[in-house]
Amino acid sequence: MRRRCGSRLLLCIMLLLLPMQILFAVEVITHAGSATQLQGNTNLRSIFSMRTRYWPNGEKIRVFVLPDDNEIHKTFVKQKLDMFPHQLRRTWDRMTYTGTGQPPITVHSIAEMLEKIKTTKNSIGYIDRRVEDENIHFFDAQ
Amino acid sequence: MKIFTSLMLNKFFYVLFFLTFSLCAQAVDSELNLTETSWQQGLQKVWRDDIQFHGFLSQGLFSTTGNNIYGNSKNSVSAGLTEIGLNVSYQALNNLSFAVQGLYRRAGQRTGDWGEVSLDFAFVDLNFLNFRDGRMGVRGGRVKNPWGLYNETRDVAFTHPTISLPLTYFDRSRTLFLSMDGGQFYADYNTAIGVFSFKFNYGFIQADDPELLQSIVLDPNIPGHLESKSSFITHLSYETVDRDFMFAFSYADVRLTYIEHGGFDPYAGLEGEIDALMFSGQYNGERFSFTGEYSLHWNRMRGLMQDNSPVSEMWYVQAGYRVLDNLQIMLRYDSYVQNKYDKKGESFHANTGLPAHLMFTQDIVVGVRWDITPAWMLRAEYQRVHGASAVSLLDNPNIMDLALNWNVYALQLAFRF
Repeated sequence: MRRRCGSRLLLCIMLLLLPMQILFAVEVITHAGSATQLQGNTNLRSIFSMRTRYWPNGEKIRVFVLPDDNEIHKTFVKQKLDMFPHQLRRTWDRMTYTGTGQPPITVHSIAEMLEKIKTTKNSIGYIDRRVEDENIHFFDAQ
Repeated sequence: MKIFTSLMLNKFFYVLFFLTFSLCAQAVDSELNLTETSWQQGLQKVWRDDIQFHGFLSQGLFSTTGNNIYGNSKNSVSAGLTEIGLNVSYQALNNLSFAVQGLYRRAGQRTGDWGEVSLDFAFVDLNFLNFRDGRMGVRGGRVKNPWGLYNETRDVAFTHPTISLPLTYFDRSRTLFLSMDGGQFYADYNTAIGVFSFKFNYGFIQADDPELLQSIVLDPNIPGHLESKSSFITHLSYETVDRDFMFAFSYADVRLTYIEHGGFDPYAGLEGEIDALMFSGQYNGERFSFTGEYSLHWNRMRGLMQDNSPVSEMWYVQAGYRVLDNLQIMLRYDSYVQNKYDKKGESFHANTGLPAHLMFTQDIVVGVRWDITPAWMLRAEYQRVHGASAVSLLDNPNIMDLALNWNVYALQLAFRF
């Protein structure tokens, strides 16, 4: 009886976790105008580490991120960059406090992220859902 | 020369500010023409995109037994370490940028109760070569020195693991590696196996520091001051593709000369040259981190009563574990000997009569760090210290009273934006 309860509990937990995983499938987005700048070998890790600073056409990449402790940010860093948020933060801090580079611009909500990507040329960011908007290009829709 | 250098820097600072704001105005104009947005939107866009302001602030509380750190902490509580920094960076063109940082620092007797304001860095960055996998450029002005893993951001609490830096970065000689008035050549290269970065700084350090001078001569009554001669510091680092591992090699050649004061100065003619190297390695995983650094300093002092050319050896190993994403515990073993051929200071004591423990320090640090939010951090640590080679002689003027075994309890609150 106890074992059945246990396995049911496990099933319930798995069922609860499953939609969370789907919810947190992060999508990398860019301003629609930058769609042509994306290439098969576009290195997201290098872009978000602020090492690759220009699109192939020479325009400066405008990088937007959510705060370090935001769950979508954490998932994005792990899933899409195969890194950890604290590694990214270390790279940004070194640039910021030695004057050798500028960190990405932090936005505080998905709504703000969408607004920034829609209205900022050469921008890149990420969200946790798919939206229909002619000014937004989904990175994986190559 | 010293006055000339500081005047030049002041001028440079003003020119940089004017240049920054005039270029900013131009950028605003061009932005408006291009997008035909309202003036406010144009300003806001340029403001957010091309000019950034950042800063940090930290306040420490210290209580010690045996010796003082950052003021009067012995059997008491000292709030003697305050660090506030504010910087502005401006990306004027794709390959031209400017950056300035001012630093307010209050660190015990060294800076006095009112602290000191200094120009931490101020430079023009010309990124003359940009290609898909890397870049090269030069920076001119006052640039931070890349020395080991933590020196460039040594005053930014968030960027180093514990309240007190490892002994190899000891405060008494902070000016030795702090920053360079001159220039930097840099190159970054992204390869399939990781990222290589190279920096070469050439110029003059801020050598006029009584703390540094006293640690060389061990005489609080020395009348003159130190001045820098041309020096260089270079740094090569490699980070693996996944950023889990980082290795670095640093090398420095710093040269100093003593400027005598008054008619008869027994230290006239004192010259110093410090050649130093450091090997750094770090693993920085999801939960665990391990760091180790080893450095040697070949100190050559000419013109002292007795020839003083010790080889100093410093190393530490450190482990960290993230209990939660925002809660980390740290453990470090740290060693610093002033002369690796006199590790226990016995010859030093026999020759000078001064305490042998002025020549070594070993300590163990246990700490916990809590990142309350991305902007606020609180941490606490305990240090068990054996030796006194790294204590400030300004905070502990009575050399004969220095304790051999002592404890440090510390608390720090930090903010950044």
